[in-house]
Amino acid sequence: MTAPIDQHNETKKDVTFRVFRFNPQVDSKPYFDDYTISVERGITVLRSLNYIKEHIDASVSFRAFCQAGICGSCGMRINGLSQLACTTQVWDVLVKSKEPGIIKIEPLRNLPLIKDLIVDMDPLVDKMKHYSNWIDSTMPEASMGQKEFLISEEEFLRYDKATDCILCASCVSECSILRANKEYVSPAVLLKSYRMNVDSRDAIHEPRLAELVKDHGVWDCTHCYRCQEACVKSIPIMDAIHGIREDAIESRGVKDTSGAKHAEAFMSDIEKKGKLIEATLPIRTNGVVWTLQNLLPMAVKMIIKHRTPPPPPLVKSAKGIKVFRELFREMTEHVKQDHKSHKK
Amino acid sequence: MKRYAYYLSCINESMTKEVDRSIELWQKELGLEFVKLHEGTCCGGSNLDYVSPKHFALVNARNIALAEKMGLDLIVSCNTCLMTIRSAKKKLDETPELKKEVNDILKKEGLEYRGTSQVRHLLWVLVDDVGLDTIRKKVKVPLKKYRIAPFYGCHILRPSTVLGHDNPVDPTSLDQLIEALGGQTIPYKHKNRCCGFHTLLVAEQESLNVAAEALQEAIQAKADFIVTPCPLCHTSLDGYQAKALKHAGVETSIPIFHISEMVGLALGYTEKQLGIKRHIVG
Repeated sequence: MTAPIDQHNETKKDVTFRVFRFNPQVDSKPYFDDYTISVERGITVLRSLNYIKEHIDASVSFRAFCQAGICGSCGMRINGLSQLACTTQVWDVLVKSKEPGIIKIEPLRNLPLIKDLIVDMDPLVDKMKHYSNWIDSTMPEASMGQKEFLISEEEFLRYDKATDCILCASCVSECSILRANKEYVSPAVLLKSYRMNVDSRDAIHEPRLAELVKDHGVWDCTHCYRCQEACVKSIPIMDAIHGIREDAIESRGVKDTSGAKHAEAFMSDIEKKGKLIEATLPIRTNGVVWTLQNLLPMAVKMIIKHRTPPPPPLVKSAKGIKVFRELFREMTEHVKQDHKSHKK
Repeated sequence: MKRYAYYLSCINESMTKEVDRSIELWQKELGLEFVKLHEGTCCGGSNLDYVSPKHFALVNARNIALAEKMGLDLIVSCNTCLMTIRSAKKKLDETPELKKEVNDILKKEGLEYRGTSQVRHLLWVLVDDVGLDTIRKKVKVPLKKYRIAPFYGCHILRPSTVLGHDNPVDPTSLDQLIEALGGQTIPYKHKNRCCGFHTLLVAEQESLNVAAEALQEAIQAKADFIVTPCPLCHTSLDGYQAKALKHAGVETSIPIFHISEMVGLALGYTEKQLGIKRHIVG
């Protein structure tokens, strides 16, 4: 009797890399090329691609440099998921392949394609410029170079994780809203903006925030968490996005934008009824005119189907709302105290 | 009978009433008893957490504490409520000083957040607690004539550090439920993608584009309907479907079902009983 092959003891196997190919100067449409090579356990996708380029087809184009997950150059979609080729092991992705023995390699999404696996990063760089993703120092010019500009450890911890970003654009590639509109700020730029905005040495917090709350900015994020899930450095990107929103509401007020008004409605409704008052949410977010123009046909259909949310007076409060409100307001006092001591 | 505290989601109390109504029809048949948490309040809908992180912690500590008082797990049938309440739980469990601050307030209502009750989705209860074998045995009308596109939605999958039930890249629990009910799942790339709901009032066109993509893939794959465990995804894909597809230049339509309705159909209830006729897309 033959013993079953123990896959865990296997040290080498034939793997097919199905690589996206497209050279806009020559090809009328994209296609895939299959390259089958023998791969040892522990080999990364990048080393495999290097082998293919050196020994099989020199025309396969991709970007790579450090081979150690530091430079962020080799972001690509491996079996559909945006990640770094240099930190992704072949055997790890092979077990998740839809077609046994085949690993599909495609360029990142949401950025223009240059050739094969190479995308144009310029739109991302342009957005980083647009949203001033740098520190404009508050230190007088005369003092620069004379002394260090230190921050507290507590402050650094607020953006420590955000500084881990290597601009690999995996989050950009996975973003739902960017897929729907290429003008959207994008998660990497929001992360960088947050990192700059919470730095006390920065002098352009207000103008940067003013830009972030405009159309295609921070309020357009739809909370899908794809960016955070894809981040190769496990950075909680949504915390940064929510951090900008919290800052926007605090610095610019709850009536600043439709995004802020929409978010604040949850706070006031919970305090009032313990429930969201959905019927008036569109009006409170965007005003009567927008609501009539945009939602009237749907509202008619909803009325026919008995699907309209109840008008505010008919929204039943949560049971025991009076006690709940007391608790809620007590927490409001705590928050006020926090703000006071924070300002001190 | 397995008992659970059942969280009342705002949207299921207003626009998608068919979710709770259909669950009520079949819960006993599957050996489940959901005790409605009438004292529970809105979870903050993935917004309160940044408007006021401390109120967010208080509100959801209280929601969970109400279930803990009954010694029951808290079951949720909206993805965003699930993610939001679980996020608060994670924060409370990891931050003792926040937990203490919140509990000092909660004790005025005779409540305490201890962290003993789990917060789980209805889909997980069906797959893990009732079990696929039991569900298979209970099916009266197998859904074998239907090709079904499983749309999981975001907040039952991501962030995986908070959810952790399915692999967010290739989730399976909803596919398993469909198969146990006798239906046929179709390969569906949008199964783990977004419906665009959370920006419908803020970035409408982007949201509609997101929804349209998910709808078009299911239509092209000739699915009979899309099923989702989330009433917010349902609202985006059903309520806004006509608008989304019109903009995308698509003239056909596709019905969107809640998981509770799909279970009800397989257990022999009619579309009328289950509230399917309340959907915008027939």
